[in-house]
Amino acid sequence: MQSYHGAQVFEAVGLRQDVIDEYFAGTASRVGGVGLDVIAREVLIRHTMAFAERKPQSQTELPSGGQYQWRADGEFHLFNPETIHRLQKSVRTNSYATYKSYAELIDDRAKNLSTLRGLLDFKQGEPVPIDEVESVESLMKRFKTGAMSYGSISKEAHETLAIAMNRVGGKSNTGEGGEDPERFVPMENGDSKNSAIKQVASGRFGVTSHYLVNAKELQIKMAQGAKPGEGGQLPGTKVYPWIAKTRGTTAGVGLISPPPHHDIYSIEDLAELIHDLKNANRDARISVKLVAEVGVGTIAAGVAKAHADVVLISGADGGTGASPLTSLTHAGLPWELGLAETHQTLVINNLRSRITVETDGQLKTGRDVAIAALLGAEEFGFATAPLVAVGCIMMRVCHLNTCPAGVATQDPRLREKFAGKPEHAVNFMRFIATHLREIMAQLGFRKLEEMVGRVDMLEPRAAIDHWKAKGFDFSNILYAPDAGPDIGRYKQMNQDHGIDRSLDVTTLLGLCEPAIARGEKVTAEVPVRNVNRVVGTITGSEVTKKWGVNGLPEDTIQIKFKGSAGQSFGAFVPNGMSFSLEGDANDYFGKGLSGGKLAVFPSPLSSFPSEKNMIVGNVALYGATRGEVFVRGMAGERFAVRNSGVDTVVEAVGDHGCEYMTGGRVVVLGPTGRNFAAGMSGGIAYLLDEDGEAVSRINAQMVEIGRVDDAKEADELRALIEKHVAATGSEHAKGILAAWPTKLPKFVRVIPKDYKRVLACLKRAHDQGLSGDEAIMAAFEENARDTSRVGGN
Amino acid sequence: MGKPTGFIEYLRELPVDRSPAERVRDWNEFHHHMDEKRLRQQGARCMDCGVPFCHTGKLISGMASGCPVNNLIPEWNDLVYRGLWREALDRLHRTNNFPEFTGRVCPAPCEGSCVLGINAPPVTIKNIENSIVDKGWEEGWIVAEPPTTRTGKKVAVIGSGPAGLAAAAQLNKAGHLVTVLERADRPGGLLTYGIPNMKLDKREVVARRVALLEKEGVKFVCNATVGENVEAELLRKDFDAIVVCTGATLPRDLKVEGRELDGVHFAMDFLTASTQALLNGKPESAPINARGKNVIVLGGGDTGTDCVGTSMRQGCNHVTQIEIMAMPPMDRAADNPWPEWPKVYKMERT
Repeated sequence: MQSYHGAQVFEAVGLRQDVIDEYFAGTASRVGGVGLDVIAREVLIRHTMAFAERKPQSQTELPSGGQYQWRADGEFHLFNPETIHRLQKSVRTNSYATYKSYAELIDDRAKNLSTLRGLLDFKQGEPVPIDEVESVESLMKRFKTGAMSYGSISKEAHETLAIAMNRVGGKSNTGEGGEDPERFVPMENGDSKNSAIKQVASGRFGVTSHYLVNAKELQIKMAQGAKPGEGGQLPGTKVYPWIAKTRGTTAGVGLISPPPHHDIYSIEDLAELIHDLKNANRDARISVKLVAEVGVGTIAAGVAKAHADVVLISGADGGTGASPLTSLTHAGLPWELGLAETHQTLVINNLRSRITVETDGQLKTGRDVAIAALLGAEEFGFATAPLVAVGCIMMRVCHLNTCPAGVATQDPRLREKFAGKPEHAVNFMRFIATHLREIMAQLGFRKLEEMVGRVDMLEPRAAIDHWKAKGFDFSNILYAPDAGPDIGRYKQMNQDHGIDRSLDVTTLLGLCEPAIARGEKVTAEVPVRNVNRVVGTITGSEVTKKWGVNGLPEDTIQIKFKGSAGQSFGAFVPNGMSFSLEGDANDYFGKGLSGGKLAVFPSPLSSFPSEKNMIVGNVALYGATRGEVFVRGMAGERFAVRNSGVDTVVEAVGDHGCEYMTGGRVVVLGPTGRNFAAGMSGGIAYLLDEDGEAVSRINAQMVEIGRVDDAKEADELRALIEKHVAATGSEHAKGILAAWPTKLPKFVRVIPKDYKRVLACLKRAHDQGLSGDEAIMAAFEENARDTSRVGGN
Repeated sequence: MGKPTGFIEYLRELPVDRSPAERVRDWNEFHHHMDEKRLRQQGARCMDCGVPFCHTGKLISGMASGCPVNNLIPEWNDLVYRGLWREALDRLHRTNNFPEFTGRVCPAPCEGSCVLGINAPPVTIKNIENSIVDKGWEEGWIVAEPPTTRTGKKVAVIGSGPAGLAAAAQLNKAGHLVTVLERADRPGGLLTYGIPNMKLDKREVVARRVALLEKEGVKFVCNATVGENVEAELLRKDFDAIVVCTGATLPRDLKVEGRELDGVHFAMDFLTASTQALLNGKPESAPINARGKNVIVLGGGDTGTDCVGTSMRQGCNHVTQIEIMAMPPMDRAADNPWPEWPKVYKMERT
């Protein structure tokens, strides 16, 4: 908490400057607003309601408020019975007139003062004939659906949106839950369920080489507009077997998406991830999702300099009913603020022309899109509205798995009730584009690009007839930077990702060509230097593209590197690729490993004891999903965070090892740092506890600490260490094996409680003669009924 | 919310009715009460929607959708599920002066727009409402609550039907002195003489509420027809305000050949006379009487149904009901989606 003290992370929306100066000195506030007089009046109104002179009995009942659930006399909600009904009716009957009646209700600025854009008007332009305006089809290419994970919403809803967006040439978003590889294959009727945007979030669920190569855009989610600074959680009862499979985790075990990316602590780290992902799929645009907040312009400028192709400014009003109540009502800022700041900052720094700016956060009508374009966006994301189009009725029970519309649920009985069709979402997108096109004609724009950042076409509404709206000041939002004609105001050029200079392009691709093209064995020795970043990733992506999810047979490509490797060595490397590294490696070693094998060991000429010296940097194996890794030496902090399937042996690790891990086995043949296994919900860790301190460094909140009692398990552990010796020649490990009977009792076994319970359920299912998916489902159901689950997970 | 999975676990269930053979022999109400356990299960079926269309009370495609008085349906459904009947009653009374009337005779557009109704039978909202208020009366929770202060203002309400009674109740609560003028011999308007007794019991339900209003200070004057035996000018002089709640009692005539013949009546003449005779203790003395006759009822709506039920109880020989419209579909037509009022075939029981 300390780092937040005095940080002034809040921004005031709607307070007059003198109030800020007097009572919230230093707080950012950009649109002016009410003074003390209005605040006093509001307090008086509430007081009068509570202490009325005459109050009949029935009025002693408190009002419902309607903040969360809509009420006729409560808080105004843009999605209310009438708008939901009209929107659903319009898309189901393909009636643009009905859509317009919906849009009128949403855009009705006389009544709706619930958004900043509601306080803006278009200026009179010089209309152009509508047939001269860019086509609906062309406009729809700029449309996207929001990142809603498979897991938070049902397969049916998720695929419906994907098919729809592929039909209109827009982009759907996987969300952070991975995607079933079956969906990457086009359907027989020509449709595709493949989400064009594949999200890479802090949980890295299902982020494999195969997932990455099947994207048109890779989105790094830095935060969510609706709940900035928060992670996510999928309770165990929602982690159905098919969800677990897609995410590479265990059915029935709750999943945590941590608030931060463990490989991003600075803008340089983010630049590295952008570069890593570009290597993992050179054809995909790399997008960075930020949230509207004060200062986002500076961050966006950094993102542009870090070579992202797209930056998304996400507003506060989006998000599912699954966000915590505090976030739903009181966190985040409207996209108008963040978008305006971002566009201005990018133009001022002459960065705007090399990055696409996208915005989302309750875009509901063509008018919303037009205003977003005028404030500086050229691509647009929609989530709630298309979800409503395919059947969501804003139940706000997304977190309970009881969505009666079959949208936000995994319960097969409810999924059956999903009645949405791709046509519904297609119609919605068409209506939005048609509406947008009408506004473009009226304002005199033939191409959307002409519109981007044209704040001069907006003005504050002249007569805002609300007693609290008088003090608004939009000059900050409607500011147009004084930049010359040579400064681009929309995306015009591509970023230089430096791919051509990578070791993969200059050396490895050529070497590995026989393996990639024909599956022939390749062995080579290649020197490596620390300027060689992301070694092997491009080659890995080519293997995956050619050979699919399972890659090549084990050890098809064997390369021995010598030297000091740069960052992200072996990132996302798939099956069939085995790298050994004589030397050492920087941070992010084996990030997102997708089936490959990595071994690192010091030069035989070195004189130091390997187990007492650092050989790989921080965040090794972050988000790794499959493969084997042997590290002869100490690893830095955050080792194997969010590992979901890699077996690894290492000789010591720093702080936060195995945090949020969900699968795989980690053997540490030496000391661990503090906070080991925090938030770990799957997999097993074995710590050789020579000094008796290991237990004290474990964060035992979610894990059980024991010994290796099972003979079979002991054999497996020994076998793993033997592999380590074979791969790295570790003297330290040899010594342990030599003294095995005395060393084995010193191993501390760390297993998450939930994971252990689910494994026990699974074993019982197998004992009852069930197998495969049936056994997993039985275990899942038994576990879902178990009330002893940790923290409801 | 009550039970998140209630709607998956429990099926829609309504209380059983008295058998038709038994109930046509008297004029009493014919729904039995449901036991508490099952009522609570029915309450648990409510999903406590983020957007409760049942509570909306808007015209959608020109038809009522959701509760026109914005009853806080999800809130009292939840309270019923939890067994908090007293709290449920308070929540119900917050938006509804007379739940015992609406719980019995409202056409329940709430159920037509119930979100559960998109793909399953809707929550039994109307029956739950009725059960809450009936329990309130049984338990003695509904008692006179005269206003603590009086404003000194006097208001005349013309008409004692549902609108007149509601206006009187609200104005009285606000501390005004209310006098209700009714031209019939008993207060209640449509509630007393429009709806037959087996749907809404006059003595046990309507008169009970009127008596309560009297205890709270509302004055009722019957046989008072403004403009005939009550001077309108006098009202203006004696009262600070007048509320006109006279309803629409003009029948729609049917100009067809034979309309003028004997034995062709307006429904309201028939129904009013029947109820009046019943309340006078001599149901058989109704001046328009179906006893032993063959009856034809023109119109298949609620009033037509009331005429059928009344004819049956009067001991008619035979009754035929004729409806001008084609038989509506059993399920919603494509152009009549949820949450619009469902234009489907309904079997109305009397």
